[in-house]
Amino acid sequence: MRLDDRLHDFFNRPLMCIIAVADNTGRPSAGRGVGFQLLEDYERIDVIFSAWQWPRLETCIRQTGRIAATFVSPSDYVSYQLKGFAAMRETETADFDRAHCFMTAATDELESLGVPRRLIEPWLTAREARVARLAISEIYVQTPGPLAGMLVGEQFGTRSQ
Amino acid sequence: MNLRLSDLSACFEGVIPSIIATASADGMPNISYLSHVVRVDEEHVALSNQFFAKTAANVRANPKVTLILVDGFTGDQFLLDIGFVRSIDAGALFDKIARQLKASSAQVGMSDVMRLRSADIFRVHGIEKVPSPVETASPMASRAPVSLPALAEALKAIEQQAEADEIIDSLLGAIQRVLGYGNVLVLIHDNHRGCLITTGSIGYQRSGLGSEIAGSDGLIGAAATSGQTIKVSDMSRVRRFGEAIVLEAEGAENTSRTVAFPQLPTAMSQIAVPMTAGGTVMGVLFIESTERLAFREEDEAALEILAGQAASALRASEREAAAAEMRPAVLLPEAAPAGRDVRVVHHRFDDSVFVDGTYIVKGVAGTLLRLMLEWHRSDGRNEFTNREMRLAVGARMPEIKDNLETRLLLLRRRLEEKQAPIRLVRVGRGRVRLEAEGPLILDATAGDYP
Repeated sequence: MRLDDRLHDFFNRPLMCIIAVADNTGRPSAGRGVGFQLLEDYERIDVIFSAWQWPRLETCIRQTGRIAATFVSPSDYVSYQLKGFAAMRETETADFDRAHCFMTAATDELESLGVPRRLIEPWLTAREARVARLAISEIYVQTPGPLAGMLVGEQFGTRSQ
Repeated sequence: MNLRLSDLSACFEGVIPSIIATASADGMPNISYLSHVVRVDEEHVALSNQFFAKTAANVRANPKVTLILVDGFTGDQFLLDIGFVRSIDAGALFDKIARQLKASSAQVGMSDVMRLRSADIFRVHGIEKVPSPVETASPMASRAPVSLPALAEALKAIEQQAEADEIIDSLLGAIQRVLGYGNVLVLIHDNHRGCLITTGSIGYQRSGLGSEIAGSDGLIGAAATSGQTIKVSDMSRVRRFGEAIVLEAEGAENTSRTVAFPQLPTAMSQIAVPMTAGGTVMGVLFIESTERLAFREEDEAALEILAGQAASALRASEREAAAAEMRPAVLLPEAAPAGRDVRVVHHRFDDSVFVDGTYIVKGVAGTLLRLMLEWHRSDGRNEFTNREMRLAVGARMPEIKDNLETRLLLLRRRLEEKQAPIRLVRVGRGRVRLEAEGPLILDATAGDYP
């Protein structure tokens, strides 16, 4: 599934990211993303997370290859959830740069909204950064409100939240 | 499990959103923010599920769920491995969850929106602390626990007081001494006017004695009407409560007949604790702090204990005063004091009283001053019993039987605070004396309807 221009603009904002995976017994696990890169085809996205902080994410992705990532703009709660199959890829130097930019923007944004920096710092680290390449198959609006759960691009979308 | 849910109390304040991860029957994960997680007991949590269609569907297909909770003091994160047990939409547990949801929704200004329809109960199988890249310790987290010996001593001190002013002062002092909070108000319920009136105050630039909170307004009104403690732990996320609170400056008292409610502009946390005795809410204890998350679970419990003790003592005081009044009084006429005239104006429509043009008080307390002045004018005496006041006012204001003492206290303190040329002095159990700096002139007819 391809991200449209509106969604592409959304990904230029300061964002927070949360990730869910599931192991082969169906047990979900969760963690935070600390960076991303939209690929040129707009159908795939690389999601960066810390394997030091969230060790189960990589294990589960290697087991089941399934992932959900929700991106939220903290200033207005606009949120989208991307779902699909993912595979781990090698971490590159540029991924650390992306993570650094993402974490700086997110921290500054949250701080400007009144969240003390010392509270944010424990959430975001690129230590032992890993990258999952997600092939997007579903996109859901997750902004609180009447469209919450709507599948993007479908008139009568499946709800997800 | 090594970590217990009770160790995570700062995660349940609704300040930092939690995260819920589920998976469908075919194994596709789903992730969402969650504004409210309620601790039910040491082994269970509850989640409100009205906004989470996919999450709710997944949970019913696959009960395995993971939560991330965040400590609002430190930012520490915890992974909870939980399993769905059942859904509830009525009963004592549902009511408890609904109350907590309402209280935490209040701090994001959504108390009207977040009406609970049903809640899902989960058993907690495991709790893990998520590694943090930074040292996480906050000054608030290292605060000493509440000292039980100090709390016990404070309770004894309150219990030993016989008079309303001593009880309220003991309560205010105990909160400062035992819990270290510096901005505290005691508001007493006034059924006649349908409001709560500030009757005790410490820590504010202006005491606000006599200021009122109407009906169920804000945290204070909500605590009074629900009989539940309500707190806000992070004011940076909340529109300031008490929008209905009158904010006139001190100088406007004389025209508005309204005392400004005391303000702590830098407040980050607020708590309103009902003062309940015998199932009746007699008033509300209100505390503010400039710290985020200033009221831990144990602080809340200590405040509820102190508020309950003070409410019981106030009720006992009213009853004892009523009994003490039974003995006959010898109330002789006295010569009028020398000095300039002291002019008191009473407006019947709201029972407000002004002394030499300065607004003092309204409502029951205003009525009591008018009564004493009328008796002074007709009998020439300056001493009055609570009993005669109770009898005289009781027909019009039946609730006076339960709160005459606190109304007299409010009148006395307002006269003192405004440095009025009249003072009210307690001269024994159930008896007061009116002292004036000159002959008293009561104007109870003019200006009733300005």
